[in-house]
Amino acid sequence: MSRGPASNNKYSYNHLNAKGPSEAIDVHDITVKKSRLRIFLSYFGAAVFLTATFYLVALKELCISSIWIILVCFSLAKVLHHKPVKKESVMIMPAFGVQLETHYWSGRVIRRFVPISKILKPVLNECVTPVTCYWSLALILRDEVELMLVFQKLQPPVRMLVPVWKALCAATDCKRNQHHLNLCAVLVSVYLASDTD
Amino acid sequence: MVSDFFYPNFGGVESHIYYLSQCLLKLGHKVVVMTHAYGKRSGVRYVTNGLKVYYVPWRPFLMQNTLPTFYGTLPITRTILVRERISIVHGHQAFSTLCHEALMHARTMGYKIIFTDHSLYGFADVGSIHMNKVLQFTLADISQAICVSHTSKENTVLRSGITPERVFVIPNAVDTAMFSPAPNRLSCDEIVIIVVSRLVYRKGADLLVEVIPEVCHLFPNVRFVVGGDGPKRVRLEEMREKYSLQDRVEMLGAVPHSQVRSVLISGHIFLNSSLTEAFCIAILEAASCGLLTVSTRVGGVPEVLPDDMIVLAEPDPGDMVHAIRKAIHMLPNINPYVMHSRMKKLYSWHDVAKRTEFVYDCALQSDDESLLQRLPRYLKCGAWAGKLFGLVMIVNFLLWRLLELWRPAESIEEVPDLVLVQNEHQEPMQDFVEARD
Repeated sequence: MSRGPASNNKYSYNHLNAKGPSEAIDVHDITVKKSRLRIFLSYFGAAVFLTATFYLVALKELCISSIWIILVCFSLAKVLHHKPVKKESVMIMPAFGVQLETHYWSGRVIRRFVPISKILKPVLNECVTPVTCYWSLALILRDEVELMLVFQKLQPPVRMLVPVWKALCAATDCKRNQHHLNLCAVLVSVYLASDTD
Repeated sequence: MVSDFFYPNFGGVESHIYYLSQCLLKLGHKVVVMTHAYGKRSGVRYVTNGLKVYYVPWRPFLMQNTLPTFYGTLPITRTILVRERISIVHGHQAFSTLCHEALMHARTMGYKIIFTDHSLYGFADVGSIHMNKVLQFTLADISQAICVSHTSKENTVLRSGITPERVFVIPNAVDTAMFSPAPNRLSCDEIVIIVVSRLVYRKGADLLVEVIPEVCHLFPNVRFVVGGDGPKRVRLEEMREKYSLQDRVEMLGAVPHSQVRSVLISGHIFLNSSLTEAFCIAILEAASCGLLTVSTRVGGVPEVLPDDMIVLAEPDPGDMVHAIRKAIHMLPNINPYVMHSRMKKLYSWHDVAKRTEFVYDCALQSDDESLLQRLPRYLKCGAWAGKLFGLVMIVNFLLWRLLELWRPAESIEEVPDLVLVQNEHQEPMQDFVEARD
């Protein structure tokens, strides 16, 4: 077992390399640190929004200023909203496939499996939105136009993404060696993200 | 480099930014271009030699300009400047709203800024008055400014009130490798006059309508080739019909930039009838292809070419016909290859890049100043305008501080310099990780 030490004040990264019966299974985790402040703020924002809406509706005054107040409270609630994601993990089984998991605080787990033959290449994208620019890790799949994001809900910093990317490249490379592809040396593609959640 | 105008749009400003960036990359600097998204082309793109372009997804609203929201572009500008470790922000073209906003944000954040003006503007109409006020705001606190000709420097200084010592004159150049003369010299029996420009009022399309029939009448061996499109094309077509010049005047329509050279080398004389030009790159391209130029004496045009390569005329049809007559007589003495080699020595983008580098060095040597030291410069701009500008800068400063609290600069990760490797088997991202650690 080996551990990655990378962490910042929001995310922490773990790398578990368990040796199975015949092959090594690589697991990369990105865990969200539980922050009481964020949970409190998220409930506070929701409470303010609901109170404002009910108060104004109950008073039966729906003029322009009340609609503005509702809109402002709604955007405040949206900004403060705390995602219920506990951790996202990538399980790489060489020569078999990649399993992407999303674990929620409520205990729910969403799993997606991608067979290794479907992956053309994993790429690190720079995504540009109207207000910011961030890195994301995505898989280019054969016969599909859309890229598949590896970490769908979280936006971890790039130094946590790089080891995952390297492991994915190594896993897809062994399989890909028999296919000679003329790829450009710098493969940085574009992905326009519409929201920054 | 910041501007609303970049590839895939084609024009003087766009090619200036592109060539200047390529030459600066060759000199070893790091260049990043920021512009707005063009249709589906948005996000990060790499063009030749690894020049990184940010197509920021802000919608253009009028003539390729981003919607001016004053403070809306502050977050993305700040993110790009921090993550790319920028030291100087260079804005292009007074008509670009993204340029003015980005320069304002960069100045608030303490970066050195440079502005290049590419066009001449008037003083009288309402649009110009507003534009000049915006320019005055941007240039009130600029480190250095660059203009493309002495006429343009005079125009910029008058419009914005900036001190002339801060303005450098660096003319544009031309890619002489791309614009070379025809391998075989054309015979002089039939003289072909080329016109390649947008057919709009500013470029003198109305003058063409008067000049072409006159010249065709006086010189039976002259033919015209007109390339380009625009609202005035209809007038030219009408002129063709009226004087039955279908076999003497050929209309090519819009000519893609890559085919401009092949159009130019099919002629002897290049005709430019613009009513206003700060610096005309089109005549440089024509001279590089070995054509003799006939042009209107407006703006910065007299500064562009030596007297034996150009014949100037007033923007009046009679004078232009006279100039064309003079050009036709000069034609046997013109050697396109000699012209081309002279142009190679006179104009080169590498020279422009070196001179721009000098301007950058001057800008970097100026002192860092706080907001309080800079505000008086804005207040001097006018009775009402000065106070408004000061207010705008203060609000910008406060918003920037708020943004620093919410998303500190340390949380914006810096982008490592990617090394372009031609070998497909090599892993370029290894340089990525080593640079970060």
